[in-house]
Amino acid sequence: MKTLAVDFLLKESPNAIAIVDTKLNFISYSNQWHQKFSLNKTDNDNKPLFDNIIEMPDSFKIALNNGVNGKEDINLGQKFVFPNGKLQWLKWKIIPSKSENHGFDGAIIFLDDITIEQKEIELLHKAEEVARIGCWELDLLNNTLNWTKTTKDIHEVTNDFIPNLKEGINFYKEGVHREKITQLVGLAISEGKPYDTELIIITAKGNEVWVRAKGEVEMLNGKAVRLIGTFQDIDERKKIELAHQEISELLKITTQTAQIGTWDYNLLENNLEWDHEMYRIFNIDKNNFSGVFKAWSSSIHPDDLERTLAATNDAINGIKDFDEEFRIKHKDGSIKFIRGLSKTIKDFNGNAIKMTGANWDITELRSTEFKLAESTKLFAETFEHSAIGMALVSPDLKWLKVNKSLSQSLGYSEEELLKMTSMDITHPDDIPNSTFYKNKVKIGGNKNLQLQKRYFHKNGNIVHAIIGATPVKDLNGNISHVITQFLDITDRIEAQKKLEALVDVTKSQNESLTNFAHIVSHNLRSHSTNMTMLTKFLNEEEDEDEVKNLNRMITNATQSLSETIAHLNDVVQVKTGALEQLQSISILNTINQITKSINGLLEEQHATLNLDINKSHFVHAVPAYLESIFLNVLTNALKYRAKERTPVIDIKSKIEKNDILISFTDNGQGIDLNKHGNNIFGMYKTFHKHKDAKGIGLFITKNQIESMNGSISIESEVDKGTTIFIKLKQA
Amino acid sequence: MNKIELCCIIDDDPIFVYGTKRIMKEVGFAKSILVYSDGQAALDGLTKLCIAREPLPDVIFLDLNMPILNGWEFLDEFKNCKSKRSKKIVIYIISSSVDPRDLERVKNYDQVDTYILKPITPDDLIKILGTVVEN
Repeated sequence: MKTLAVDFLLKESPNAIAIVDTKLNFISYSNQWHQKFSLNKTDNDNKPLFDNIIEMPDSFKIALNNGVNGKEDINLGQKFVFPNGKLQWLKWKIIPSKSENHGFDGAIIFLDDITIEQKEIELLHKAEEVARIGCWELDLLNNTLNWTKTTKDIHEVTNDFIPNLKEGINFYKEGVHREKITQLVGLAISEGKPYDTELIIITAKGNEVWVRAKGEVEMLNGKAVRLIGTFQDIDERKKIELAHQEISELLKITTQTAQIGTWDYNLLENNLEWDHEMYRIFNIDKNNFSGVFKAWSSSIHPDDLERTLAATNDAINGIKDFDEEFRIKHKDGSIKFIRGLSKTIKDFNGNAIKMTGANWDITELRSTEFKLAESTKLFAETFEHSAIGMALVSPDLKWLKVNKSLSQSLGYSEEELLKMTSMDITHPDDIPNSTFYKNKVKIGGNKNLQLQKRYFHKNGNIVHAIIGATPVKDLNGNISHVITQFLDITDRIEAQKKLEALVDVTKSQNESLTNFAHIVSHNLRSHSTNMTMLTKFLNEEEDEDEVKNLNRMITNATQSLSETIAHLNDVVQVKTGALEQLQSISILNTINQITKSINGLLEEQHATLNLDINKSHFVHAVPAYLESIFLNVLTNALKYRAKERTPVIDIKSKIEKNDILISFTDNGQGIDLNKHGNNIFGMYKTFHKHKDAKGIGLFITKNQIESMNGSISIESEVDKGTTIFIKLKQA
Repeated sequence: MNKIELCCIIDDDPIFVYGTKRIMKEVGFAKSILVYSDGQAALDGLTKLCIAREPLPDVIFLDLNMPILNGWEFLDEFKNCKSKRSKKIVIYIISSSVDPRDLERVKNYDQVDTYILKPITPDDLIKILGTVVEN
């Protein structure tokens, strides 16, 4: 039932249509078919379909076989990949036909190649996926919301998720984000206003994601009917952006706090841009700044200008980044030290187009460094040239560094001292104190502690010193070393000793003065009062015999007075200028001389003298004194002899250090030293009933000995004997 | 005026002893006078009197500068045997010393009544006689 009209319609159909019989031979086909699917352009009528058709997938062949067997097959669009790699999207509809219905047995085939369109869609989806930009569509007429796959991916929902408007909005984070989207969508619907915003959604899996949501409105008769838009995952970008913002903010605060000025110099336009800190550092009013390179370079100190400009040129020419210290001069004339760093930015061709950098004020640092250097230098100079000995000492008392003064005081060179510890030459008696002191310094914090101690000079002499120590701590608070000051007070101590000796001399002289006073106040006076009294009696007396008696007494009193005056004269003579008359005298010779002069007395007493005197023993003495002393001691031994024994006197001499000790030992009466010890050498002290006891001999002897820097002492036992020890300087 | 029973002079200066005895006679100071020429002799003599229960002196004139045992030493020793005596003995220091240290030192001895500077005068003795007899 082929009619011409039908055939024409079929031929001219805009779609590819073919009609086949049950044997799959063409009954008819449209021009489109022939154009699109035929292998060659020969006539296909009554020829088998598969003889002249481009490569088709197997499923098409199966579908066609089913079709001629009465089974309809619809394919709405399917992608086929052929073994040769060719990709084709096909869409078909195969309708079975029976002769009773359509006048023939076979099938009608609608076939469409949608490869090009599908490829576009596929690309779009790919693009969506790659760009993480999804699309959405809100149909306001039937109130449906469509999301593309990427939109769903961004929301982290499954592909079969069907959203609605309320759900869509609820994905936005509660609070400002949800309020904002609600407002924007509302405005779009009511006023047709498009939107483009960046907000946070909470995905189905609970992740926070930054998205950019864009919405366009389609209007119909002034009413919004559809909203379409994109939905983009900008989380990474947004986070970077926010982080950048945060870092920028931080940088700004940092540079401000650190007072670092930053600048940007556009080389092409010769335009210099400064931040706030730069103006502050250069002390230039922002409004007066010309913004050119010259404004910066004119601030630089003339002495630093050449160097700084050269460094700038090197930086521009890419030789070396700018990293210089230079001085600038403020308008008020003050000089600041500036540190500058820069980076040069180049274009693709390697030409410098821009420089960016930072400047900061290091004046304080420089001046602190300068002061530190000065103070270090000063310390080193002070240390070396100090009149006081100084040393750096390790915690275990090793010398680390000593100055000239110290090595002079101790007699060792610096090299020698550094090899020993301070304890090596400390006086043994001062070691416990020094150790105690060392520990005190360790725990004493920063206190300056002092100690007076003795050292041995290299030549063996004692060096007296006052030590002051100041511990220096490292960053951990441990003592790294100790600064020790060493004040040599040897001279002072020597002077003090001399002074003490002088005080002793003064004391003894004072004692003598007291004795003079005593003589004057008592002895002279007693004679004079006696005479006064006797003369008074004499005047009143009438009895001749009594007058004679009184006259005799007056004579005695007069004699006593002149005797006392003679004693006084002796004492005064001892006291003056003995030291100038010192000579070297042989002890033995002097003793022999004395014994000769009292030979008569010795013989009368049948006394025995035993001499044990080395003739090499010489003393520093005044000859007359030495004779007087020996004479006095010897005559005392005879005067106070024991009645029942003949006197035996041993005289010995021996060397004791720089002195010679001479001893006179007798076997006489002895004296009770417990009773009279204090007074034995005192003036007018007598302890025996003896007619010649005047209490003046030993007093003068003692004074004579002491005036020659000697000393006298006594040992005695009542009724056994007495030993007198005389110590004089060896000559 | 009543005389003192027994008076004692301890002094090594014979001229002083002579003079004092003479003045005592003049003013009628004591019935009898004991003389010791130094402190040791006085201590020994007085102790002997004490043991023999013989009368002790009412007044002692004590010199300071004497051999063997001087006035101070005598005072120290005499203080030690004080407990053995029942009678109060008035002691006068009598010295030619005008040394202020001696005057000061006297204050340490409460058994000493007065420090009398030599030479002793009849007025001194009359005054002493007055106070001693009164007591």
